[in-house]
Amino acid sequence: MHTAGASPPRVVAVGLAVVIGVTACGAPPPDGASLLERSSQRMLALRGFHFQMQISGFAGSGEPVQSAQGDAHPPDLHARVNLKEGGVLLEVEVIFAAGNIYLKAFTGGWQQLTAAQVAQFFDARTLFDPQTGLFAAMRDTTSPTRAGSEKVDGHDAYPVGGVVQASRVHELLPLIRDQGAYQATYWIESPGNNLWRARLRGNLFDASQAATIVFDFSNHDHPVSVSPPPLG
Amino acid sequence: MITPFRSARLRSVNRPALLALTGAGLFLASLDAYVVVTALLPMLTSVHIAVNRPEQATPIITGFLLGYLAAMPIAGGLSDRFGRIRVFAACLALFAFGSFLTATAPSLSQLVTGRLLQGAGGGALVPVVLALAADLYPAGDRSPVLGAVSALQEIGSVLGPLWGGLITASSFGWTWIFWLNIPVAALLFWALWPEIRSSAEARRPANLDWLGALLATAGLALLTLALYAANPEQSPVGEGFFWQAPLAAVCFALFVWHERRSSHPLINVVRFRDASFSGSALTNAIAGAGLMVALVYIPVLANAVFSMNASGSALLLFRLMLGIPIGALLGGWLAQRLRSYRFVAALGLVLAAIGFVMLSGWNQDSLNGHLFGLPLTVATGELFLTGMGLGIEIAPVSAALLDVVGEAERGAGASFLIIMRLVGMLVGFSLVAGFALWEFHRATAHLLPPLPGLNPTFASQYAIYLLKVRQAIFDEYHLIFRATAIALMVGAVVAAATLRPLPRPRWQ
Repeated sequence: MHTAGASPPRVVAVGLAVVIGVTACGAPPPDGASLLERSSQRMLALRGFHFQMQISGFAGSGEPVQSAQGDAHPPDLHARVNLKEGGVLLEVEVIFAAGNIYLKAFTGGWQQLTAAQVAQFFDARTLFDPQTGLFAAMRDTTSPTRAGSEKVDGHDAYPVGGVVQASRVHELLPLIRDQGAYQATYWIESPGNNLWRARLRGNLFDASQAATIVFDFSNHDHPVSVSPPPLG
Repeated sequence: MITPFRSARLRSVNRPALLALTGAGLFLASLDAYVVVTALLPMLTSVHIAVNRPEQATPIITGFLLGYLAAMPIAGGLSDRFGRIRVFAACLALFAFGSFLTATAPSLSQLVTGRLLQGAGGGALVPVVLALAADLYPAGDRSPVLGAVSALQEIGSVLGPLWGGLITASSFGWTWIFWLNIPVAALLFWALWPEIRSSAEARRPANLDWLGALLATAGLALLTLALYAANPEQSPVGEGFFWQAPLAAVCFALFVWHERRSSHPLINVVRFRDASFSGSALTNAIAGAGLMVALVYIPVLANAVFSMNASGSALLLFRLMLGIPIGALLGGWLAQRLRSYRFVAALGLVLAAIGFVMLSGWNQDSLNGHLFGLPLTVATGELFLTGMGLGIEIAPVSAALLDVVGEAERGAGASFLIIMRLVGMLVGFSLVAGFALWEFHRATAHLLPPLPGLNPTFASQYAIYLLKVRQAIFDEYHLIFRATAIALMVGAVVAAATLRPLPRPRWQ
């Protein structure tokens, strides 16, 4: 057991933390465009992260997915997905591992799906695809503007707002309409460049009704490894 | 324990008004005790919880019961110390705040916190209003008043599920169950304001057994956690069961040890040596568990397999709830008439057990069969019988316990009866919820849903799959209801073996 009082290494550590803290506060944060660029690179290079996706507002008649959460190391991921069927929420579990797709529905164990089958409900891999997914879309966000620091889940992050072409968002969630443009906001920590939250707004599923998709990220760079589940 | 203040009687000129206002508060809180059973599904949906993860609804129910049980033993003593009306107002405010948290909950954790505070505020009202009634009326006139207060509480809880179901099914939606509490509480607060402000109320230093209350609450909280099956696919009890359950037992043991030494115990534990007392307490808990199973699982069954909405399932449950007060009156009358607690209590529990056995035979068509060509279904009769059985047992079991404690401890005895009933509800429901879902997952472990895609027979395969799932749900319910029937039969045996006969009337 340690005795009370500050030992020399602890003093050094505290001093260092103060110095880092002061410099972090002192240095002006990067502009919106470079924050987006750095954060995109950072997120694509992570060894793993936890994500949560929530759709609110009008989710469209053709869009059964309401929310999803899980751990990812793209293209592998393990998620629980909430689907809305006839006004009731149902949860299924999906695993994308080693190029295969597995589903655990309301009863029974895991079964393997074909790409055609998964496309019928929710191909979560497209969300974080390095070319067409969310982190790639960050770089394609036009006229980014950075606002003052905000707290997101207890972390200081700069909100960077901008516009994303609908066709671009359509690529990451095919049920989203591909016409026009949507408002995007990304909450990025600086320094560190972790993306904590991303929000897409617009008439995503219906030309006349507004909807919002919010992605929350945590456990950045905590290694995630997903292995194929036992079938049956 | 309730020891009345004499001065209150002399001072207060408008006793009925005061009692009516506080009684209204008690009624409001008791409405909310079981209000959620018919609103569970939309509540879960609004905090984004899928219907195939029903285990996450368990804390919405157990949280309320736990709050109730934590607050009830200390509220009476607090009202001795700080004044009845003030403590009443504080508890009502807590109840209203809990309602606000519940109505605005964006997440399950806030929903559960809201229900916990509602339970704590609502549970505390019971002993405070009972104590106030005892203050206001002299010993000779007190019995009918105390009876009326208890009846108000019972009627409120019987009407609660119907009230909740009707609001949930209306265009207002479930949150209005809780929103409505706030203006009503504010109105009562306003009406009682002169009494709250005046400091003329009698007080005395409270001999509150804080340590006893803390140990009992900690034990119950640990037991609830231990039994909460957060992952029923893997285990019928909680992940921490093997350390939480023994720790709960330690808390209860310390509680008993402490109560024996305390000069002002919450419960006179020596009474448990009397077989009639402990038998009555146990029977009461078992009956509470049976009632809770009916309260929770009949609406869920109505919804899951008969596709009823909230008001439909509320009306189905109401057929059972209606039997309870009728049975309660009948049980009281029979016990006096036959001069036997044990026979009438056992009769009620056996009838309820038969009712549950009948419910466990339900299938897809059970709501359609008519009884002797009357516009009554067989199901209605079965539900009513179950409720009536649960009602008949109330009077003899309560009276047997109150006879043991005698006149001086009658208030404490009445509180103890309510507490034992709630403990039965809490423990019984926690056990049933975990084991039933665990069994459902076990039974459907190899039932794979067919996948769409290039499968031409998908539609018919899917229809067959749905039938199989429905059958599995029925099987789960049959198991729950049979297990409950067995528990009630055990209760009947305990009652028959332990309850003492009625004391001879003094004038003979």
